[in-house]
Amino acid sequence: MDLSSSSVMSHDAPQTDGAMQASRDEAQVAPPTGSWRLPLPFSAAHAVLLDKRSVSANLLLGGLLAVVALLSLCLGSALISPLAAIRALLGQGDAMAVFVVQELRLARLMAGLLTGAAFALAGCLMQTLARNRLATPGIIGIDNGATAFAVASVVGLGISLAPPPMSLAGAAVATAITFGLAGGAGTRGYRFIVAGIGVGAVFGALTQLLLARVAIDVANSAYPWTVGSLNARSGDAVLILGVGLAVGVVIAQLLARSMAVLRFSDAVAQGLGIRVRLCRLLALALAVGLTALAVAVAGPVGLVALIGPEIARHLSSRRGVPLVGSALAGAVLMVAADLAGRLLFAPIEIPVGIVTAVVGGPFLLWILLRPAARDLT
Amino acid sequence: MCQAGEARRPLPLMFVWLSACLAAVCFLSLLFGAGEIGPGASLSSLLGMREGAAQHAEEAAFVIHELRLPRTMLGLVVGMALGVAGALLQAVARNPLAEPGLLGVSAGSAFAVAIALMLGASAATLRVSVAQLGALGGCLCVLAAARMRGVGNDPVRLVLAGAVLSGLLGALTSMILLVDQRTADEIRFWIVGSLAGRHLEDLQAILPSLALAGVITLLIGRPLAALALGERVAVGLGHHPRLVRLLAIGVVALLVGATTAVAGPIAFVGLVVPFAARALAGPDIRRTLWLCLPLGPLVVIGADIVSRLVVQPSELPLGVLTALIGAPVLILVVRSQRLPTL
Repeated sequence: MDLSSSSVMSHDAPQTDGAMQASRDEAQVAPPTGSWRLPLPFSAAHAVLLDKRSVSANLLLGGLLAVVALLSLCLGSALISPLAAIRALLGQGDAMAVFVVQELRLARLMAGLLTGAAFALAGCLMQTLARNRLATPGIIGIDNGATAFAVASVVGLGISLAPPPMSLAGAAVATAITFGLAGGAGTRGYRFIVAGIGVGAVFGALTQLLLARVAIDVANSAYPWTVGSLNARSGDAVLILGVGLAVGVVIAQLLARSMAVLRFSDAVAQGLGIRVRLCRLLALALAVGLTALAVAVAGPVGLVALIGPEIARHLSSRRGVPLVGSALAGAVLMVAADLAGRLLFAPIEIPVGIVTAVVGGPFLLWILLRPAARDLT
Repeated sequence: MCQAGEARRPLPLMFVWLSACLAAVCFLSLLFGAGEIGPGASLSSLLGMREGAAQHAEEAAFVIHELRLPRTMLGLVVGMALGVAGALLQAVARNPLAEPGLLGVSAGSAFAVAIALMLGASAATLRVSVAQLGALGGCLCVLAAARMRGVGNDPVRLVLAGAVLSGLLGALTSMILLVDQRTADEIRFWIVGSLAGRHLEDLQAILPSLALAGVITLLIGRPLAALALGERVAVGLGHHPRLVRLLAIGVVALLVGATTAVAGPIAFVGLVVPFAARALAGPDIRRTLWLCLPLGPLVVIGADIVSRLVVQPSELPLGVLTALIGAPVLILVVRSQRLPTL
């Protein structure tokens, strides 16, 4: 993962369009305080502005992710030393360790890493475009919509490839209903969110209805989805999620600058030359798609989408939207929560959805109840 | 009391009408079920006709008397209690969205029961009082949140806090269930919220507290109505707002705790019923409370009948159906341009 290039607010300097600035731009512009100026190798005229705090935050999160990932490869019912785990990852060492690491834990680690990153990136996009830090996909019902459709595909069709497209459809339907009922995200503030809670409740009830209609063993096979767990992951769904996430990160990075401006009022954004509607639509589609693909793997673990961006926002500078930071923090959270769920009450495994709910609930209450001094604007 | 009569529709007439509907629904609830005893067999059994094989008739009599009758009675009690609790909580919080299930009161009560069972209590003895204590805790949490700056004057934000609280408590409860197998076995069927498989003895256990709640409700009806006009008006009329609020919260805890103890957590009834009652009776809390009495069971028993019929031969949890009815009402209330202030 190339941290430095993906974390920048790419900034073309010198700017060639403003005639008034032309004379000033002749000279080498000193970078603003708190950033580095990184000249691009292929063109002397262009350079990239790196925000020092964001870069260090992302490096920190990346390091944390590496540690947590290594731990999740080492710990479990069979303990493997970190060195042995790395060797097993490369296919060396004794056959038992290689099997445990490569066949069992690596797949789970990848699933957790990708779902966490996708949930949190989607959450950050959604929060920014709704200008409300509580407006994450999980809270406004998108997770539940995706889950209902995915469960429908499992209990109805029984094909392992079916969940991702079905959950995409479900997420899109839930989003359309929520936005349609609330008349857009920006206009009514918290009402939008309560409408979303209502939509989520309906889809949750529909999921229960579907599960009640089928035989108990089929219902059991779909059960992990309803609480959010990495147990029921299918390799295909993880693969699709990986591809989707790779594309999503690129698009998000292209949108990053517009998103940073979108935090201001529509009039300001428009004045700065942002195509607000297009930008919103793209970000929304991206958030919905990422959430749906992640739900298809792990079920609704919506609180990651709320906490991940919050952590990233605290660490990074407040100048941009911490998209990459959110994804990294989400991955850390998801892997750590899964690890905790596996270890805390071993041999009983607590689903990752429940772990995040227990940890994230108080956090959410704190966001909700503290004085609204630093709301997302 | 007589000023209440100047509203458009006379209250006694509506009450009688709704009670008649309720009686009809109760009758239907005896007739329909998820099993093999259809409406025809039930009807002939109820009318005392012994047609067909004697064994068949006996089976029908058993199903009706031992399964459907307790269930219907339970639906009556649960519906009344939840409807009244919703109306009271909304009056106290001055918020049309305040609902015991949404605000975490039911979740608090379920959590308390799960904790008590995990610590070694046995299911049969402790449940009612523990559930009521948990409900009280949930109530107090939410109302404390409502008093915080910025939340009190925004009804929607309170609901959000409640939703988060009940999500958190629900997650903690399911964690206990996962870790402690014995607790899970004891309350697995109770935790989803359902009227099925309960006995008349369960009902007897909660009747004293319901009676107490009813008496207190009758006493605080007038002060609550005065409180709706504002704190100062209520004081000027000689009431004690703090005491009245505390009593009302106590009643809500008694009612919700008792229903949760027998039927598990059931959400959204306390939202739908007062909403409909207010639409029929107008803003006076006393009239609303009277209409909640027939309307609550109407909703609960109606939903229970549907829950038996849609997925024959198995059944749906009641909470699923109340969510399907209640969530659209929630959206409707939120969408209305101006939230009615209570």
